[in-house]
Amino acid sequence: MVGSETLGKRVLGIYLPLAFFIFFLLFPFYWMSLVSFKPTNDLFELKYNPFWLQTFTLENYLYLFQNTDFSEWLKNTLIISVVSTVLSLGCSILIGYALARLRFPGSNFLGVGIFLAYLVPPTLLFIPLSQVIAKLNLYNTYWALILTYPTQLIPFASWLLMGYFRTIPKEIEECAMADGCTRMQALVKIILPLSLPGMISAGIFCFTLCWNEFLYALIFMSSGPMKTIPVGTVSDLIKADTLFWGALMASAVLGSFPIAFLYSFFVKYYVEGLTAGAVKR
Amino acid sequence: MGSETVKSRGGRSLRRLLDRESSLGIILMLPGALLLIIFMAYPFFLGIWLSLTDSVIGEMGDFIGFRNYTDLLGDSIFHQTARNTLIYALVTVPFKAMLGLGLAMVLSNRMRFSNPIRAAVMMPWIVPTALSTLGWFMILDPVFSPISWLLRSLGVIKQNINFLGDPILAISSVCLVNIWRGIPFFGITILAGLQAVPQELHEAAAIDGANAWHRFIHITIPTIRGVVLIAALLSIIWTFADFQLIYILTKGGPANTTHIFGTYAYQIGLSATDIGQGAAIALYMFPILAVFAILLLMYLRRD
Amino acid sequence: MKDKKRERRGKISRREFLKAGVVGLGMAAMGGLTEKAFGAPAVIKGTKLTILQGTYFIAPGQDLYKKQALEWGQANGVQVSADFLNWPDLQPKIAAAIQGGGVDIVELWPGWNYLYEKSLVDVTDMAQEFGKRGGGFEPYVLNSAPVKGRFLGIPHGYNNNSINYRISWLKEAGCPNAEDGNKVELTWDQYHAIAKKCKAAGHPFGQALGHSTGDPPGFCYPYMWAHGGMEVSKDGKSIQFNKPEFVDGMRKFIQAWKDGYDETGTSWDDSNNNRAFLSGQIASTVNASSIYFAAKKDKPELAKDIHHMLFPKGPAGRFYWLESRTFAILKNSKNIAGAKEFLKWWFQDKQYGDWWRIQEGYMLQPVKKYYNDPTWFKDPKMSPFREEPKYGINQGYAGPPNQRAALAWSKYIVVDTFAKAVQSGDAKASIEWGAEQLKRIYRV
Repeated sequence: MVGSETLGKRVLGIYLPLAFFIFFLLFPFYWMSLVSFKPTNDLFELKYNPFWLQTFTLENYLYLFQNTDFSEWLKNTLIISVVSTVLSLGCSILIGYALARLRFPGSNFLGVGIFLAYLVPPTLLFIPLSQVIAKLNLYNTYWALILTYPTQLIPFASWLLMGYFRTIPKEIEECAMADGCTRMQALVKIILPLSLPGMISAGIFCFTLCWNEFLYALIFMSSGPMKTIPVGTVSDLIKADTLFWGALMASAVLGSFPIAFLYSFFVKYYVEGLTAGAVKR
Repeated sequence: MGSETVKSRGGRSLRRLLDRESSLGIILMLPGALLLIIFMAYPFFLGIWLSLTDSVIGEMGDFIGFRNYTDLLGDSIFHQTARNTLIYALVTVPFKAMLGLGLAMVLSNRMRFSNPIRAAVMMPWIVPTALSTLGWFMILDPVFSPISWLLRSLGVIKQNINFLGDPILAISSVCLVNIWRGIPFFGITILAGLQAVPQELHEAAAIDGANAWHRFIHITIPTIRGVVLIAALLSIIWTFADFQLIYILTKGGPANTTHIFGTYAYQIGLSATDIGQGAAIALYMFPILAVFAILLLMYLRRD
Repeated sequence: MKDKKRERRGKISRREFLKAGVVGLGMAAMGGLTEKAFGAPAVIKGTKLTILQGTYFIAPGQDLYKKQALEWGQANGVQVSADFLNWPDLQPKIAAAIQGGGVDIVELWPGWNYLYEKSLVDVTDMAQEFGKRGGGFEPYVLNSAPVKGRFLGIPHGYNNNSINYRISWLKEAGCPNAEDGNKVELTWDQYHAIAKKCKAAGHPFGQALGHSTGDPPGFCYPYMWAHGGMEVSKDGKSIQFNKPEFVDGMRKFIQAWKDGYDETGTSWDDSNNNRAFLSGQIASTVNASSIYFAAKKDKPELAKDIHHMLFPKGPAGRFYWLESRTFAILKNSKNIAGAKEFLKWWFQDKQYGDWWRIQEGYMLQPVKKYYNDPTWFKDPKMSPFREEPKYGINQGYAGPPNQRAALAWSKYIVVDTFAKAVQSGDAKASIEWGAEQLKRIYRV
């Protein structure tokens, strides 16, 4: 910081706004957690203060694990997200590198084409896509999502990594190649380790979108226990009844937790990756 | 290069392929491009074809030209949907950008627990929208809303607030949730931009007697203008193509006052089985999205 | 300077790389454990049967169905999976299944047999066998289930739907015979006069008018018909929506909405009124018997104060929207034979009867035999529903049920007309809007 600031200034300029943001941004999560620990009858009793617990219960969580396929949903979501992220990241590294470093016929056109993939909303694609999925016999398998998610991930991830690769001086690579490395070796040994924050950042982006995706998961993979957490929560726990709000919120809390956890570890690299990739280009 | 050479020295020629920029470039593009072609480009064109037919669920229809598109132009629900979408995507952006900037400024200060705090305030953007929206769905409940409860206990209101049932409040509520979800994205992106501002510049300016406000206007704003623009354009594109937030909160109701392109296309194409028209509704987004995408592209390639 | 920074980043990156590697390994291991689940999608061992249906408001009914299906599957070596979806998700999922396959049996809501006509297997013989065994189908079933004379699904009834009210509060408001819903006989005007008194006493009536598939149309269509409005003429050639009687009825409803209803109802879905009723917020609402069922389980004191009555009458009479749901087989099923076997078994008296009775009258009888079933008389509070089929007519009345009527329903035209009316206060403009939308749908 520049100069020294008084405590009063810091409170007014930093802590007060910070408190506002934390309250506004986190209140819904407080509410979700709160509801997940309440017994159903307390939930719909308007004479109680809704902002606090009257009775603490774990029944909603127990219900989730005993009466629903939550553990299956968790496993499905994890597998799909991890595999799809790895796949997307792999493709994006190659594309990003090609677009950042190589001159080849059509590179401009392909770059724009991949960027334009942004424009295609999943809502438009999923009806024709379901025919494609059916023809490939992928309905209700992990592959249905593992192969379709990258279409939503590759454009941004490639773009981010391309920006990142460009910040790495060409000379480093050229030196390595002069020493006898091939281009691919130079990519693996030199460029990739240097762009780790960019890759983490792209990886988190991919993982998050996979974890969160709703529409494709609802249509392509949603039979029996073959559901992801968001879809399982919405279609198995919304019973249009009084009974499931607690379990619904318990599921929402558990479905949000792993991803929040992941972020708390990597947030620093996420910002760093964005800085280099998106800002400096 | 003869085929003989390829055979006898296959290994080496592959290596040469990998070392020559023109061929290597194509090879590197292939895996990703293949996925995009099979699972995006092909269905996209299939969708365009569908929008030009009178197909319904379970039955490929006949080519009917642009009738689905012209029909929609006379549909009052579609007009409303277009208006809602514009409000939803455009009105929310300045709020997200301003609040995101505020958040970034706050977070850029050195403080204790800065990493956990950053991770925590990112939550609205990173947790599954379907799940956090369910939380909002409860918070905005017509009968059990804690907000209504609080204001009622304080004597501010007599009747519960009709968050999702009053036409004005409903669109405001979905916008609010969208803003809530979008602030962290702007915040973290702008934060990244702020960190690119050389500290020396600030220090030099401070020595020259510039106060905080001047430094903000003359140093900070110019450096982050680019990121803000990128974030705004991305946010507009995403919000335009949104679906789940509205689907969970209102399903387009009450009386279509919160329908956006995505939810209306879904309702017509899947629930009402009119796929052709559903595809046409979604495709109406295309020119608008294209404008923003081209703007973004032009900005990114400006030099 | 720049190089220094780069160097530092390089070091951190390497350290971080190790960390990331460990995480990666862990995740890979997790993936390995579940490799089996990927399977080879093309190979199908034994037969599989996938059933999609709406989630149950009466939980024991759902549990029983699942148990029955699994038992049958075990006995016949079929891998059965039964899925119960939130109602608004059902139709899109069926649509996707028709396009993409993977589902064998689907539960169809009224009108959907017309929407998906070309994608369903003809099960006329099976349906008729079930009807004959049960002493013949109820008229509402015969009116709605067959498409051009063919059954494309086997009818299993429709959930009941009527007025659920609090005995004590309606009594206070002067409703005659409030203690016995079987004897209450009201007009809509009288019903709304009671609503006004109840709201003044702090417990308004509740009605869902949001985009939801059960209660909003369950109220709006009957109210419209009772006031002389209908979507289309008998021959389907002219829209009969914008009629002065209906505009009058709508004006009354707008007034009643202000005077007697909880005005947040414009955003309510099928579940909001259940919650509001069970928490004592509203005195009366249009719903199935699921509220009463839940109250008996969780709030026995409240259950004692609940009763049901038939819909009030309007100038044009008393009406219910009533068409049968059906269990249908998709043409693109890979296991049509298995699906037929299952349905044949499930619709036998033992299975179907157990399932029907466990819901304690929640499902209206599709066949005449159940009209005199003891289930209806075990609890007099359930008896009013038994008469409901007498007044049941279809969406698209006075025309026949068909694809157009189902489209209008899927687009919430009638429901939105009501929602628009209470929001804008302009009955005429709202009904004109609805008429314009119906004209587009019926192409007249």
